[in-house]
Amino acid sequence: MRSLRRQDSGTADAIGVLDAGGAGAVDRAAVESDGGSHVDRAGGIGRPVRLIVAVVVAALLLYGTVAGQDDLFPIGPFRMYATADKLNSPVADTHFEIVDTTGATIELTEVNTGIRRAEIEGQLGRFQKDPSLLRIIDDAYVTLNPKAPSPVRVQIIIRWYALHDGTETGAYTNQTVATWTPPGVTN
Amino acid sequence: MRRTATPPGKHATVVVTSPTVASTDGSDNAAVEPAPASSPRPPVGRRVSGWMFAAVPTGRVAAFRTVVYLFVALDPLWFTPWVRSHAAIPGVFYQPLLVGRLLHLPTPTPLLVNGIFWALIPLAVAAATGRAPRLLGWIVFALYFEWMIIAMSYGKVDHDRFGLLVALAVLPTAGPARHGGTRMTERGGWALRMTQVAVIATYFLSSWAKLRFGGLGWLTSATLERALIRRGTPLTDLLTSMRWPLLLAQFGIVAFELSSPIVFFVRSRLRYWIVGYFYLFHVMVMLTITISFAPHQVAMTSFLPLEKVRPIVWTRRFLRRPGDRLHRTRTKPSADDEHRSSAPSPAVVDGHR
Repeated sequence: MRSLRRQDSGTADAIGVLDAGGAGAVDRAAVESDGGSHVDRAGGIGRPVRLIVAVVVAALLLYGTVAGQDDLFPIGPFRMYATADKLNSPVADTHFEIVDTTGATIELTEVNTGIRRAEIEGQLGRFQKDPSLLRIIDDAYVTLNPKAPSPVRVQIIIRWYALHDGTETGAYTNQTVATWTPPGVTN
Repeated sequence: MRRTATPPGKHATVVVTSPTVASTDGSDNAAVEPAPASSPRPPVGRRVSGWMFAAVPTGRVAAFRTVVYLFVALDPLWFTPWVRSHAAIPGVFYQPLLVGRLLHLPTPTPLLVNGIFWALIPLAVAAATGRAPRLLGWIVFALYFEWMIIAMSYGKVDHDRFGLLVALAVLPTAGPARHGGTRMTERGGWALRMTQVAVIATYFLSSWAKLRFGGLGWLTSATLERALIRRGTPLTDLLTSMRWPLLLAQFGIVAFELSSPIVFFVRSRLRYWIVGYFYLFHVMVMLTITISFAPHQVAMTSFLPLEKVRPIVWTRRFLRRPGDRLHRTRTKPSADDEHRSSAPSPAVVDGHR
């Protein structure tokens, strides 16, 4: 600690620069080169620029938190699991899956499609309005699994888990949100 | 206070130095050393400025660079490989963020996504070496930022990236830094401080978001139960049948997030304990709801005395034969060896005292 104080006291610093003779501002670079500074200073224009940038980014982040949405990424609100679920209302767990030519139902994930479940949830309304968009999931699955049996149906299901006093009861119901059959497949 | 050299014919200039910005032990930049009792207390603005620019050893900046850029190189391969899969997804699924719209960023194509993938990884590895920190740093920042914009433009935005993005934005401004370097740097200190602030802002503002979207009712809601149902592990199957652990956890999370800025107001030893608790929190989150917050944890290493972690030096020492050790004790150590010595005195500045 003592050595650091000694080190700092031997160098110019932005905290206080006094001109004893009233000659005006001191040239920072000259002061530092004169003293043989041991510290890599953030001097000159760099210091105020850094301060201004920090204040601006902080203000934008605050705005995003107070009034923004995810669209403002990376300065949007950090709202992961920020909503309040009711203690006695069902909670949603979204699945997207395919049924293939063997009749097997395969749960889809970011591993076997490259699409995250939350991305499906984020655009759920679009899939509900236009189920043919599920071809995107079909294509993604076939691209990453070319040797797997072909899908004959793609669907999005919300599983609603019942809660009682904030704990899971074990009961659930499935709600099919969207379903789509690839062209050429006959049921 | 000292008097600078004055050119003939000019007035003498007196420089009053900072009484507060020095680190207490040279190994961290978060503690604010109290001014001597006899010194006048500088204005708040200057103290804040001094805090933001508190100097750190260049060795810490170099180590932080390596950690951050190695993570960036690993991220597209290990943590976000799904982003590359979006190259084959039709543009109709692309929902550009505001920043993408403002910058008129193109709809991702296989050429764009794979181009970023194959450029980002080698350039991040190169940046991890510390060479050309400004040029490589800005290129890596631009590539990774675009990688993230693509990642978050398909209906889901992650909230664990802010600290890492800030780190990538400020590291190019941190100046040159060499592993093991003991020269103190304000530019590097500012870069680390901004990353630290971003990390803590992520915690603090997460609670703000909870109060905004969930209200005070969030504290007693079933939100964690929903998280466990969606992303639970065998460990959490035990928890979902009981109400009180989750209720306590929700109060604990908000208390933790709102109190996290305290890390800036404590001395280094306690601060390391607090940061250790942050990491423990993320271990628990990973074990219960399988969310890693890996980029956030990487940014959080900005709180740590990374310059003391010298795996290459340790490996070399370990591999050095006993005969070599004996030989070295009989010869004068090289300047390079002096730089590698452990626990360097903060007063030693790249060989100068």
